[in-house]
Amino acid sequence: MNLAIDLMQVLLLIAIAPLVRGVNARLKVWMQNRRGASVWRPYVDLLKLFRKEDMVPDTASPLFRLAPVILFAATVTAAALVPVLHASALFGVGGDFILLVYLLAIGRFFLMLGAMDGGSSFGGLGASREALVSALAEAPMLLALTSVAILTHTISLPGIVLATVVQNPLHLSPVYVFAFGAMVLVAIAETGRIPVDNPSTHLELTMIHEAMVLEYSGPSLALIEWASAVKLTLIMALLAGVFAPWGMATSASIGAMALAPVAFVLKLAVLTIAIAVIESSMAKLRMYLVPDFLGMASALAILAVAFTALMR
Amino acid sequence: MGLIELAAAKALASSAVFLFVTLLMMAAAKRISTCIVLFSAQSAIMAAEILAVGYANKSIESYAVAALVIVVKVVGIPYLLFRIVRNLKASQDVASSTTGAQSVFIMAVLILLSFFAVAPYARTLQLDEAMLAAAIALLLAGAFLMVSRKKALMQVIGLLVLENGILLSALTTTFGMPLVIEIGIFFDLLMGVFLMGLFVFRIRDTFEHLDVSKLRRLRG
Repeated sequence: MNLAIDLMQVLLLIAIAPLVRGVNARLKVWMQNRRGASVWRPYVDLLKLFRKEDMVPDTASPLFRLAPVILFAATVTAAALVPVLHASALFGVGGDFILLVYLLAIGRFFLMLGAMDGGSSFGGLGASREALVSALAEAPMLLALTSVAILTHTISLPGIVLATVVQNPLHLSPVYVFAFGAMVLVAIAETGRIPVDNPSTHLELTMIHEAMVLEYSGPSLALIEWASAVKLTLIMALLAGVFAPWGMATSASIGAMALAPVAFVLKLAVLTIAIAVIESSMAKLRMYLVPDFLGMASALAILAVAFTALMR
Repeated sequence: MGLIELAAAKALASSAVFLFVTLLMMAAAKRISTCIVLFSAQSAIMAAEILAVGYANKSIESYAVAALVIVVKVVGIPYLLFRIVRNLKASQDVASSTTGAQSVFIMAVLILLSFFAVAPYARTLQLDEAMLAAAIALLLAGAFLMVSRKKALMQVIGLLVLENGILLSALTTTFGMPLVIEIGIFFDLLMGVFLMGLFVFRIRDTFEHLDVSKLRRLRG
């Protein structure tokens, strides 16, 4: 029974990822007073790309085709570590948040390799920017999750959820507040949203993710796009699970399992609207201000870790 | 426990965290108007705090002080500052001499420092450590904002944050000052903001900028 629930959670996360993207794009468009595409558009796009021919540059090695597959596999494996509806995960016993962070890092590493393998100057440019952003985002992400792990005395994500869900939402430790602040800044950088990267532009000077995937087409591009959608949903589920797990089922009873999807959709909606508001109201940062942005996340994460010693 | 008691207890327990959050956001803020809004929010938290303390101690005076805080600090002074910002027609940038990450980092260190500074006193005086630390952190943060921001208006906001710290430390150690003294302080503060507003206009008219780091010519 539990295995079925865990498997369902992963499949749900992968299946709704394009929808989250579509809803987010629709909300943004709506806030800017335009009409925009249907929220199901990302699914249609993926289907279209899977049916198309996969073009590979003459200069590329086999790594070029391999990179999107590894990226997708690593992201899906990372998704199997995150509790979504039930306070457990498919790989929850064997994996912890450190594995999650580095599975995402492996995916990103291979995407950067693939981008440079493509041979265009944009690929190398995007890859070097992505390397800078991810190197700076890794430390605050690990530190923020570590502070919560110290507080809950466990490094497994389901364990953190179980320890957090019994606490009073109105009487949370400051550690959660600071760690949440750091994680939000990191999440923006990790998922390539404004103000760090613009997911909807192909302007040479500013793009990071789009520059990397410029040489890709067909099924490879579909895998990359789907993986980045899964990553966005996965990080949202992580934020909701670690910092606001209330409503998540702790037992496999019918009542709890019926409530959990409602709570999850509500939390996802709040986060999606928040992203749309941030992206519509802020300007993209200059590339050289991104280290400053992530430095704030680092300062908050360090403060969160220091507070675990203060607030015993 | 009734609902109001519960709300009062929660307000007391978590307001220190919210004060820290406003401080960290002030450190990260790049625009003067953001800082003004944050100061208003900070004062609203203070008002909730005073109400909670007043409710716990059954003191009518505290309600009057809370009302004063709301009228003067949550609405009055931010409104005045916004008017000054609008009439100045100068750039909104706070002109910080530290980068955003450095400011947040320094603010985090100040918050930790205030916890270590108050730890012995909180133990001997049987006080809430987080609240006393928040008071000291407000004092330090106000001073930090005043020395690191170059715009004259930010010096005003720094001073106001510092004053919030004094109010909070009085509240946590002695459950608030007598009403007469509070009224005097608020009158002082209001006059101070009026005068500093005038000064800011004079600085702008004389030097055509608000950067206090360029006021070296005045030295005798």
